[in-house]
Amino acid sequence: MAATATGIHHRSYTSELRLRATRAEYFRLGLMTVLLLILPFVLDNFWLSQANLILIAVIGAVGLNILVGYTGQISLGQGGFLAVGAYSSAILSDRIGLPTPLAILVAVLLTAAVGTFFGLPGLRLKGLYLAIATLASQMIIEFVIRRWDWLTLGQGYLNVERLNLFGFQIGGRQVFEQQWYWVLLVLAVLTVLTARNLFRTGLGRSFMAVRDQDIAAEAIGVNIPRAKLTAFAVSSGFVGLAGALTAHYSEVVSWEKFTLDVSILYLAMIIVGGLGSIAGAVYGAIFMTMLPELIRQLSLGLGDTLPFLADELPAVRNAVFGLVIILFLILEPRGLDRIWHRIKDYFRYWPFRY
Amino acid sequence: MSARTRSLAVAMAAASALVLSACGGGGGGGGADSDEAIPIGIIADLTGATGDVGKPYNEGMLAYVDWRNEEGGIEGRQIEAKSNDYAYEVPQAEQLYKQYVNDGVVAIQGWGTGDTEALSGSVSRDELPFISGSFAEPLTDPEEAPYNFIIAPTYSDQMRIALNWISEDSGGKSDVAVFHNDSPFGEAPVADGKNWIEEEGLELGYEAYPMPSGSQNFVGLLSQAKDQGAKYIVIQNVASPAALVAKDIAAQKLDMKIVCLNWCANELFIESAGPKNAEGHVLVQPFAPMAADKEGHQVIKEYAEANGIDTADIGTSWVQGWYAMDVMAEGIEAALKNGDDLTGTAIREGLETMGAIETGGVVGDGSVEFSADSHRGSTATGIYRAEDGKMVEIEDGATL
Repeated sequence: MAATATGIHHRSYTSELRLRATRAEYFRLGLMTVLLLILPFVLDNFWLSQANLILIAVIGAVGLNILVGYTGQISLGQGGFLAVGAYSSAILSDRIGLPTPLAILVAVLLTAAVGTFFGLPGLRLKGLYLAIATLASQMIIEFVIRRWDWLTLGQGYLNVERLNLFGFQIGGRQVFEQQWYWVLLVLAVLTVLTARNLFRTGLGRSFMAVRDQDIAAEAIGVNIPRAKLTAFAVSSGFVGLAGALTAHYSEVVSWEKFTLDVSILYLAMIIVGGLGSIAGAVYGAIFMTMLPELIRQLSLGLGDTLPFLADELPAVRNAVFGLVIILFLILEPRGLDRIWHRIKDYFRYWPFRY
Repeated sequence: MSARTRSLAVAMAAASALVLSACGGGGGGGGADSDEAIPIGIIADLTGATGDVGKPYNEGMLAYVDWRNEEGGIEGRQIEAKSNDYAYEVPQAEQLYKQYVNDGVVAIQGWGTGDTEALSGSVSRDELPFISGSFAEPLTDPEEAPYNFIIAPTYSDQMRIALNWISEDSGGKSDVAVFHNDSPFGEAPVADGKNWIEEEGLELGYEAYPMPSGSQNFVGLLSQAKDQGAKYIVIQNVASPAALVAKDIAAQKLDMKIVCLNWCANELFIESAGPKNAEGHVLVQPFAPMAADKEGHQVIKEYAEANGIDTADIGTSWVQGWYAMDVMAEGIEAALKNGDDLTGTAIREGLETMGAIETGGVVGDGSVEFSADSHRGSTATGIYRAEDGKMVEIEDGATL
């Protein structure tokens, strides 16, 4: 565990349970708030679109981390659950005519239900076996969205109307990214806060108990099946929200966006960010979403000296993607979150080593 | 640092950020100034699943831009084409699209069906004309996709023409197996083909088989087609997998004839399969290959000679790229001639109202024409047969 700051004495349980205890933490929170508030004014539309993708990824990655990082239930079904959220929200709002916020809410509940259903094997299976079972859920959902023609009325894809939130309509090319940024920022912050607080409740702690030692957890009275299924429900709910937002933000839903690659990308996000850490899921989402674009910018910059980078860009991207995961697994399995803690500790104890 | 100085620092940071933000923003947009370059974004597949034909298509487009700029550009303005590889992955295409929009391009050249469809909504909201390598039928309807333009007969039209041809070739009765890429591109004409048989009362059996991507042979699929009794295999895929099917048919000594649609109906198919294995197979290709030596090929030949390119290396996909860019350039020219600001809406109007664009016999029956009611540029296609390693024309400008 990271060291706690010296000189802090808690005199009540509430004080001990506070999310932030030191001034430095409040200071960083303030800085981050300022940063998030000014981003849409300093970034151009392209980089803002990247920020929007990151915010959606944050919601999805936090959702997955609840399941994998906190409850220890490996899932390869992320792409499928994103698809459930996306298709259901698009169909409910555009075809059935529900107001979009309501459609998104129903999509979240529906994805939670589907997630719980596919979580059932988790009651009997663990580790690799569960991973393969959830892989099956990915395959089944992918099959459904590809082959059930009525989902897209035989068109193969769904066009989604521009988002309308309580009468507020998202605008055109110039303001589109900026307006979406605010919507996504609010939802991402709410997601992070909810997840962060979840693990201060009994339910959240029962998830961690299942992860750490399920037999011991059962011995102290945790209802294991309930905890596991709730974890699947809560996690898929978040993922469903990310899926629904993907649909409304990109304004088109097609199966090609929800393949196994997406599941693997999200797993990579939480591994690189740090399993079992909400902040880690956020760091991972930022890092893995930015990585391809940064490589592209790099290849453009080095186009003259290293032309093969630009010529083989997609291959280079895949190679770097693999390499990053391997390096993290070897050098820092606890991810960016742990690296950040180490940096903080270094400054906190300086000039002493510990 | 005390709490007060810290809050002061935060407040300062906020203030300076607001100042910064006031400086940022603004700008962008393609102006009407007469000598500014015209920015066009290209979303190309150079290394992805359809890279075998995507790469020459991209080269053809860039060659056209090069040629046109040498000729003085469009109404005295140079074309600035930005081309990037998206490796046939929809999320990458979306990313590139966002970047092009941000860069202020006035039109976009796309590629695959999945990504063109995925972007069609954004394209119409952002009012950016979009021509792509995909000829899926829903993209021709201005109600559905008001900014998408299709310069050749749709995959469905090509399928209908192929089925008519098969019906005639077989003497009225036969069985057809459709091998298609397992993607929106491959699936695009499948249902329309089935409907066509019913509408026209053709006596053709019809069964569709998705081709698993990355397959090293298609013997399994061929044996299914054989059980079905298929004598004709219509292939809706790119050249490399289609060539594998041709090889397998030869190896298994099956009595089957391939009818390739568009993206496998090219020299690359014959080359990859080997002239012997390709012999006799039929190619439905709306863009005349160089071998057909149409009037519209002359300009390409001259460009190739001047730039040291061997015309023997110029395949049909390359020609397609050239003419896709040509059609877009004609639309831009029409918009500028109308005296409009160079916006997406003006280019769209130019394309819709300029009348027929002559391609010197290369595309369809020679001309591409759009209207406000239809973005289906052409309905005619050439039909070729592979003979001695060459594409030999058996029908010119075939229509329904």
